[in-house]
Amino acid sequence: MKSKKIRTGIILHIVLAAGAIIMLFPFLWMVLTSLKSVTESTSMNPYVYFPKVLQWDNYKAVWMNNNFIRLYFNTFTMMLLRVLCAVFFSAMAAYAFARLHFPGKNFLFGIVLFQMMVPVQIFVIPQYLMVDFLNMRNTIFALVFPGLVSAFGTFLLRQFFLGLPKELEESARLDGCNIWKTFWRIMLPLTKSGLVALAIFTALFAFKDLMWPLIVNNQENSATLSSALSKIQSAYSVKYPELMASSVLAIWPMMLLYIIFQRQFIEGIATSGGKL
Amino acid sequence: MAVMKDTARKRKIPRNVLNEWKWAYIMIAPTIIGLFILNIIPILQTVYLSFFKSGAFGKGNIFIGLKNYRDMFSDVQTWYAVRNTLVYTGLVVPITMAIALLAAVVLNRRVRGKGIYRTIYFVPMVAAPAAVTMVWRWLYNYQFGFLNHILHNLGIGKVKWTEGPDIALVSIAVIGIWSTIGYCMVILLAGLQEIPGDFYEASEIDGASRVNQFLHITLPLVSPTLFFVAVTSIISSMQVFDVIFMMIDVANPAYNRTVSLVYLFYNNSFKYSNKGYGSAIVVLLLVIIMMITMLQMKAQKKWVSYM
Amino acid sequence: MKKKALSIFLSILLVMSFMAGCSKNLNSKETVNPDPTKDAKASETPVATETVKGVTISYAVWDSNQAKLIQQLADAFETETGIHVDIQVNGWSDYWTALEAAATGGSLPDTFWMHSNNIYYYASNGQLLDLTDEINSSSDIKLENYPAGLNQIYNLEGRQYAIPKDYDTIGLWYNKTMFDAAGVAYPNGDWTWEDLKAAAEKLTKKDGSQYGILAPLHNQEGYYNFVYQNGGTIVTPDKKSGYDDPKTIDAIKYYFDFVRNGLSPVITGDAERAEAFQNGLTAMAFFGSWNLSGFAANEYIAKNCDVAVLPKSNNGGQASIFNGLGNCIAATTEHPKEAWKWLEYLSNEAGQKKQAELGIAISAYNGTADAWTKAYPGFQVQAYLDMVTYAQIRPYTNQTSLWEDKAYELLTNVYANGGDVEAACKEVAAMMNNAIEHEQK
Repeated sequence: MKSKKIRTGIILHIVLAAGAIIMLFPFLWMVLTSLKSVTESTSMNPYVYFPKVLQWDNYKAVWMNNNFIRLYFNTFTMMLLRVLCAVFFSAMAAYAFARLHFPGKNFLFGIVLFQMMVPVQIFVIPQYLMVDFLNMRNTIFALVFPGLVSAFGTFLLRQFFLGLPKELEESARLDGCNIWKTFWRIMLPLTKSGLVALAIFTALFAFKDLMWPLIVNNQENSATLSSALSKIQSAYSVKYPELMASSVLAIWPMMLLYIIFQRQFIEGIATSGGKL
Repeated sequence: MAVMKDTARKRKIPRNVLNEWKWAYIMIAPTIIGLFILNIIPILQTVYLSFFKSGAFGKGNIFIGLKNYRDMFSDVQTWYAVRNTLVYTGLVVPITMAIALLAAVVLNRRVRGKGIYRTIYFVPMVAAPAAVTMVWRWLYNYQFGFLNHILHNLGIGKVKWTEGPDIALVSIAVIGIWSTIGYCMVILLAGLQEIPGDFYEASEIDGASRVNQFLHITLPLVSPTLFFVAVTSIISSMQVFDVIFMMIDVANPAYNRTVSLVYLFYNNSFKYSNKGYGSAIVVLLLVIIMMITMLQMKAQKKWVSYM
Repeated sequence: MKKKALSIFLSILLVMSFMAGCSKNLNSKETVNPDPTKDAKASETPVATETVKGVTISYAVWDSNQAKLIQQLADAFETETGIHVDIQVNGWSDYWTALEAAATGGSLPDTFWMHSNNIYYYASNGQLLDLTDEINSSSDIKLENYPAGLNQIYNLEGRQYAIPKDYDTIGLWYNKTMFDAAGVAYPNGDWTWEDLKAAAEKLTKKDGSQYGILAPLHNQEGYYNFVYQNGGTIVTPDKKSGYDDPKTIDAIKYYFDFVRNGLSPVITGDAERAEAFQNGLTAMAFFGSWNLSGFAANEYIAKNCDVAVLPKSNNGGQASIFNGLGNCIAATTEHPKEAWKWLEYLSNEAGQKKQAELGIAISAYNGTADAWTKAYPGFQVQAYLDMVTYAQIRPYTNQTSLWEDKAYELLTNVYANGGDVEAACKEVAAMMNNAIEHEQK
């Protein structure tokens, strides 16, 4: 019995490790390329896996050419505001959709789903016109604008609220909690994992959003990391090492944030027993 | 819901029901108003525009009735795009969800180094698209690519990964699977977290096997999250664009076998300045996605268990 | 009930105004306007006859490499005139999306790059400032100083909407090391199609490790050149498709034969073309002059490769596809005088010479291009300039990209897998005539 357990454990780790290598590949590639010379980066015949000389100058060049401090600041302010808006508004709406009864519920929830069904590209020009009309171009507000509310978040959290036992809520109501208090004090804390997942994805989607920041903010001091990256890429002849160096500079804070956030999942079954 | 309506009609609405309505509307107001302004109006404009020959820069649209739709349905490429989009979704969603569910379940247990694995499996989501494209291009490159290099060494002929009409869509789907596993896994992990530990403890006392636990506890309890992942993965797969756009040029011999509806829409709306026709394609896509989503909503009653 | 509804409505308003309030504060805190005086100044002197110091004008471009060099010009311009130029860079496809959004909202950048594919769309819809009068009254700018074909691209019904900024031609690149190894003489101006084919045959290795030539499915850097060398056309002077012209078909047949005879790999992707040549897969290839800064940075190409003029057709026809960007001004600009001043600065002899010296691109002003060749001493880039005398403007109509893409779709199968080239070309011609007939006029 025990040896069987060990054997499955080993197999499990082999499979997990193989998956990890495949998943990690582009990241390793990015780091390696960022340290190559321009010639090495596009050389395929023979293939250059490791740079002969580590070209730290690539990092120096992109750091000097771009105001990274500004880019980090803009990107993270945008991410933070989008996360706050999405989590707060979505949680409220999701709770109402999951737990409250009111006329027009199905229709209004249909609208939420409807938003997710169309390609985002159709929103770009109308939303640009709105921001332009508000005279808010080249501001952080413009960056946050399309993320003020989140259909994705509403749908996600609704599923989480639906998964919670009804009895909890009923006993809270009997104890004299009003609807808002039941939501805020009792139900919301129970969906912590869902909120964390939503925060991670809102931040990630905001971070990766490319077309919008490019189009609405065309001044350098209101650019984001992703739009700055795409500008580096816009050259007739892309310098891949510099592009990858700036990618590395752009994503390490994202990785760090994820590592911190995903700790929220770590406790696992062992401790979540005490929740009820 | 139906009960509510009946009571409302029969007599004066009780105060507590009215109170619930009030709170419900207050709580959904920011989201619904925001969605209306930011998204629903543009969507309605798109539907409206699909009946017009669009003028330049939003001016001078000419009403042409259903001509865009007639043109769209009579163009064989539209049907290629519908087929490709559906095939892509059919390949990506089930495989991704199966792998992601297994990974999530395993990484939710007391596995050594699960924090590291969770981080690594998320990496493809964070990595810059340029890096991702560069890696896959190198893997798939016909002349010098890594995959063909291995095949060559094994004595098998080279494969046209992105230019072969029969295989290109599969190659693209592999990138799709690879890049969305992290998304599904993180959400499923969050869903697994909500399952109270007591359930497992109780079943362990009853002597249930792991497989039984998975089938009778994990699966039903994670089903609301699984449902969410299924709906959103299908929607986003139906909107596939970036990967195809970056890997397949218009001149590629596999273009007709890989072009997606959003790719067609993008080209027509943004490259050829034919917004009316592009809008018709969006409407077609919207109708297809709506039908699929509605089916899923109906089917969820069969397999999703809400507590 | 009504009261309740009202209170709901009011609370919604409250929430919304709170949101708006938040964002306003944020806005005033977070954004740094590079020039706070800009708006005030503009409203004081909207129709100034003289340019105003301290004004900021924007200049949108799509190549980040050039943007860095243009910044030097902009700095010099600011010292001279006190006008600040804000350079905005977007990649090619985002550039046009952003421009379209801005034009729809009436907030185009003051000055920006224009391309032959898009000039008609913008000029015919009143988005561009008509520069004809400014050019006529300028002492600095005379259209005859720029290649006539380039001027013509940006001329609609006798009105000029942009001034040529630079141009590009297509050259024949060759790998000297491979030529030496095969004992083949380097390409020169006397080469004909026959010489090209003979060389490609000699340079092709049977084991597939080396091809003689790279003949990708590409129009501008590919078969268009051969079509015009052969006396064929893509667009006829009366705006019909030239794809059904026998000379066009013959040229495309000749070009596709490189693939059919195994002298060229099948390559359709944009990125794969440079990769193939940079990695020594092919001994010859066709590339536009805009690739030079990238090629110069590549050690393999710098060490092994050089460039020559394109070969003549067998009956002596010469051609190289020729295209150029233009600088234009938005019709909605609040600073037309300052914008024009910047355009003059970029377009006059001194400005064009500076751009050439920086190696940006082949500057359009006649006689200034020599400075560009000095920026690339490692290659015989003079070849690109030599071809200007017989260069052929890249064919265009009002909506070029539409039929160009469709042509690729119709040709790709016969290109890659063999088949009836003539039938495919005739199909392209029919599609194209239909497209031109229905395009915006």
